[in-house]
Amino acid sequence: MKDDSLLDDLREMWLLADPPPPGLAAGMIATVAAADLDSEWELLVLVRDSADEPAAQVRGLASARILYFTAAEGWSLDAEIDGDQVRGQLLDFDGDMGSVEVAVEARDGESVTSGLDEVGFFAITAEVSGEIRFTVSNGTGSASSRWIEV
Amino acid sequence: MVTMSDHRRAEGELEQSPWETASGAFTAWRAGDAAAVDDLVTAMTPVLWHVVRAYGHDRQSAEDVVATTWLGFVRLHHTIQDPRAVAAWLITSARRGAAEHARKARRASPVEDEKLAAVLPDEESAEALAVLDDDAARLWRAVASVDERCRKLLRVIAFMERPDYQSLSQELDMPVGSIGPTRARCLAKVRTALTNEGGGR
Repeated sequence: MKDDSLLDDLREMWLLADPPPPGLAAGMIATVAAADLDSEWELLVLVRDSADEPAAQVRGLASARILYFTAAEGWSLDAEIDGDQVRGQLLDFDGDMGSVEVAVEARDGESVTSGLDEVGFFAITAEVSGEIRFTVSNGTGSASSRWIEV
Repeated sequence: MVTMSDHRRAEGELEQSPWETASGAFTAWRAGDAAAVDDLVTAMTPVLWHVVRAYGHDRQSAEDVVATTWLGFVRLHHTIQDPRAVAAWLITSARRGAAEHARKARRASPVEDEKLAAVLPDEESAEALAVLDDDAARLWRAVASVDERCRKLLRVIAFMERPDYQSLSQELDMPVGSIGPTRARCLAKVRTALTNEGGGR
C-alpha cells in the first residue's frame, strides 16, 4: 500500500511538473474528428463501375460486374463479380502482398475474406446480392468502399 | 474561478479516474453518441502524454506519438472487444509507438540524440521545478536521481490502471517476473533519495 501511495504522489508530481502542452487534447479531438471523417468518406473510392457504362448495358450478355477502386495511398483494386465468384487483383501496392486480405462484406454482417497470391490476385466464393462493400486490410490498417448494390 | 476539476483535485481525489471515464465514453461512442469520443480523447490524451514522455521523447516528438496513437485508434478501434479495455489498449499502443519512435531516432541521429539528452533535462528540470511546491520538488529531484530504467518504469506504471507486466516486459526488456520486484526496488531507491534529501516517506 505504501508503494501505491508513493506511486500516486509521483503521478501527481508528473501531472504538475510536465503537463501536456495547452491545447493538446483539443488538437487530438480535431485529429480524431478529421481521421474519422476520412474513414467514413470511403477510403476505397469507386472510380469505375461497369453497370454505369452504356457499352456494357448494350452488350447485355456480359454477366460480370466490374468494379475498379482506388485508395488515397495510390494503390487500386480491380474486382469482377460473376455469379457467386468474386475475383480481382490489387494493383500498384507497395507493401507485402502476403499481409493483405480482401473482404467482401454484406449488410447483414456476413463477410468472406481472402488473401492474395504473390501478384495480388484473389478469388472469393460468396453469395453476393443486395448491398456489399469491399475492405482491403493489411497489418497496419484497412480501407473500405461504400456500400454497392449488386 | 474554481472549476469542477480544481475542486476535485483540492480534495485530493478525482471522482472518476481517466480510465473509467475512457471506458464509459468509449461505450457511449460505440452506442452511437458521436460526441462521446471527445470525452474519451480529453480523458486519455494527458495519460498518453505522460506514458510517451516516460520514454524520454522531447515535447514535439511526444505530441507526434500521441497523435499517431489516436490515428491508430480511429483505424483499429473495432478490434477492441471489451470497452473496459480501451484505456489499456491506448496505453499499450502509445508505449509501442514511443518505443518504436525512440528506436528510429537512435538510428537516424545517434550523435544529436546524445547532445540533446545532455541539454534538455536541465532546461526541463528548471521549468518543472518552478511550478512545484517543496514536497513535489523533492519528489522530482529524487526521481531524477535514480537510473533511467527506473524512471521510465515508474512513470509508465504510474499512469496505467492495471499494469500489464507481460507486455511491459517486452518493451522495457525485462523478464516478466522481475517487473514487480524491480518496481519495488525503484520505489525504494526513490524513498532513499527522499530520505537523503531530508524528507522521507
